[in-house]
Amino acid sequence: MLVSEFTDHVPGWRIIATPVALDTAPWPAGAQVVRISPDDAYIMGSAEPTVPADPHAIITPELGFSSAVVHDVAALAEAHIEWSVPAHRPAVAQGQIAGVPAKLVLHADGTTQLLVACAARQELQERLA
Amino acid sequence: MSRVVYDGTPIEYDEGDTLAVAAVRNGMHPARGGTLCLAGDCGNCVAIVDGTPWVRTCQTDATPGAVVRRHPAGSHPSPGGPEHHVQVRVRHRRADHVVIGHGASGAAAAAVARANGDDVLVLDAGEGNEVVGVFDGPTIVVRTPDGIDQLHAHHITLATGAAEIHPVCPGNMLAGIYTPRAAAALQAAGIDLGRIATVGNELVAIHGESAVSAVELADGIVVECDTVIAALGSAPRDLLARMAPMVPVIVVGPAAAAHALPKCPQEGVVCPCGKITVEDLDGVWQKGFNELELVKRASLTGVGTCQGGVCMPHLRAFVAARSGTEPQPFTARPAARQLTLGEAAAGYHIDTFRRTPLHAEHVALGATLDKFGGWFRPWHYGDPVAEYWAVREAVSLGDVSTLGKMIVSGPDVVEALERLYPNYVHDIKVGRARYVINLTERGHIMDDGMILRDADDRFTLTFTSGGASTAEMWVRDWFETWGLKVHVLDRTVSHGAINVTGPLAGELLRRAGVDDDARPKFLQHRRLEVAGVPCHVMRLSFTGEASFELHHQIDRSAELWQALLHLGRPLGIRPHGLQALFGLRCEKGHIIVGQDTELDSSPRRVNMDWAVKLDKPEFVGRESLIRTAKLPDERRLFGFRMDGPAPLEGSVIRVNGDVVGHVTSSWDSPLFGHAVLMGWQKRAPHADVVEIDGREARVSEVPFYDPEGARARL
Repeated sequence: MLVSEFTDHVPGWRIIATPVALDTAPWPAGAQVVRISPDDAYIMGSAEPTVPADPHAIITPELGFSSAVVHDVAALAEAHIEWSVPAHRPAVAQGQIAGVPAKLVLHADGTTQLLVACAARQELQERLA
Repeated sequence: MSRVVYDGTPIEYDEGDTLAVAAVRNGMHPARGGTLCLAGDCGNCVAIVDGTPWVRTCQTDATPGAVVRRHPAGSHPSPGGPEHHVQVRVRHRRADHVVIGHGASGAAAAAVARANGDDVLVLDAGEGNEVVGVFDGPTIVVRTPDGIDQLHAHHITLATGAAEIHPVCPGNMLAGIYTPRAAAALQAAGIDLGRIATVGNELVAIHGESAVSAVELADGIVVECDTVIAALGSAPRDLLARMAPMVPVIVVGPAAAAHALPKCPQEGVVCPCGKITVEDLDGVWQKGFNELELVKRASLTGVGTCQGGVCMPHLRAFVAARSGTEPQPFTARPAARQLTLGEAAAGYHIDTFRRTPLHAEHVALGATLDKFGGWFRPWHYGDPVAEYWAVREAVSLGDVSTLGKMIVSGPDVVEALERLYPNYVHDIKVGRARYVINLTERGHIMDDGMILRDADDRFTLTFTSGGASTAEMWVRDWFETWGLKVHVLDRTVSHGAINVTGPLAGELLRRAGVDDDARPKFLQHRRLEVAGVPCHVMRLSFTGEASFELHHQIDRSAELWQALLHLGRPLGIRPHGLQALFGLRCEKGHIIVGQDTELDSSPRRVNMDWAVKLDKPEFVGRESLIRTAKLPDERRLFGFRMDGPAPLEGSVIRVNGDVVGHVTSSWDSPLFGHAVLMGWQKRAPHADVVEIDGREARVSEVPFYDPEGARARL
């Protein structure tokens, strides 16, 4: 098994705001911030965040992701990833895994989390099996 | 000694033999005739190995019990393949530097690269790594005994050496002809080649019935022999370097060296893969195909198994002799090695088809699922007509989670949406919604959906299921092009949506805790709890009946679906699939973009000018619409009715025997008892009566059902 069982509907928040506002946002304690793009952050493990520097920010619950722990990043990459997985940590990498759009969150502690839209989770699971 | 089976006959082989060497050891030719190089450069030893045709037997080790069948004489084998389909493993590998070829030049190149600190991979067909192709990226696809490797490299060095030139002369497809290196390998394997004649450019012809019996030399001397060793020089083995012109490939060693062309062939088979003769080449040359690439295309020389490995030097010599100029080799195409379809497909996936949060509910209800618009969707739940009547007479649920959903917010959002859509946006009040079409710059309809105003500076946008995947890109591209301050968040896969539709839809919502006063009126939307689930309730209608789309977080979808089905049981509720939905909306004359529209369908062509406000100063497609509005345009989408069964969608529409268009939507209406359809008439004058499937169909006003729209407002 390259990855653990998936957990659907990981509780989190999605924030769309100016890059500066996201850079300076006072994220709640314990928040795990995944910066999807300069204006897009996905936050797990926290209460509702605020982004004071952008009054027009979109802040909304995000339950659309499914998550799994990657047991062996190198093996996963060798079998299913065409792009280069970052060698440094922490890092967020995005692209197709076994042809399914997904994200890899490489945590500083050496663990790696795989995120995929719940809608595509079963497809990815079947392809990784 | 172990044995393999060749054409049904068990033959013995020695340890280390390839299947080709085993054949020769037993007095056989693996492909009935032709020069053997035993280096993988030609296609003269291909055979069916364990059910897989086109296998180079010189590159395949003999293993106990292997079953080899020679390709049929004079024809190609059927595609065939292993009896049991196996998934071919793909492995993605990365390296700074890939060296192809592990001879002296390859080893030297690898050593230099390593000395420079590069991570180096060396590939050699003789070591089981057959390079199939070099692609942009660069990516190198390699066939290995364990599957397919895809190597992603920064630098590629080609050190593949040189291939020996095969003879082209009368008799060159006989058995018993070898290149010097092949002959040496056979002799080293202890195989007696009998009487040997080693010849060079003095070779004129080879004689024999099926195998060599003699050679004829330029001075007229005929030498009796069992084996001909043709020592005709060599040519660069540079196929892979010519495969991806945009990929910088460094070629070293004999593969990069200058090699003299052989003398121009006069007679015999030039291309053993296609059995193409010098006479064939002369034929295409005389027809005016007077360049190397043209001779290749016209004669198909060089497009066979070996991709020019054998014929290229002779073909170049042929063209050089006639044109006076030595042509450069032609572009090479993958694959440089034969592949099974399984190997070619290894690591590639079809598009991801997504599952809605209600997928398990549909399966549990026995739905027939179909792939539609990038999603698995219920086509029906066993009785599409009953589903239809549930919508028309009672209440029904539809899973519309697949709709594109987007939040846009920002100080410039109104201006941005005014520029984006052809309909007015500024006058949409908070809590109200409006139908919109999306246009390309050319004024063609690319999608449709709704705009719902959540606040002065915030809107929810919806798109079709099929258009959702490109919607975010389209919206972002324009907003960024205009430099407007708008945030965009796609919610398509994060929000579920259930359409509660039918004359009893309001009653069902009441039973789900939504007071009559609280539920939104037509083209309104509110945030309400429905059966305890927070929902964004949108009052729209695609079916023609009162409809409430309940958008919600996807973790609550199954709970909401089950609650509504339970509460609606006394009302005769049943879910409906796409089949019923498409019929319902056809009766209402609602188009499906991409089905009822074509790539160049303007609003005028589909009778939707009402959705375009040309008095707006700016919107995507406006200039094109203003320009084309002045031009005659005969194409129109019409509604039709006809007796008898509904014709197939796509059926031809004729007027007086002439084709004028086709049917885009077709439905046997249970309500009307006749077929209702939509389709194109692309010529004026437009007819009131047309012929479809040899039957009469009459133009009919659209919508067919409830033209006043009263049902949707119940």
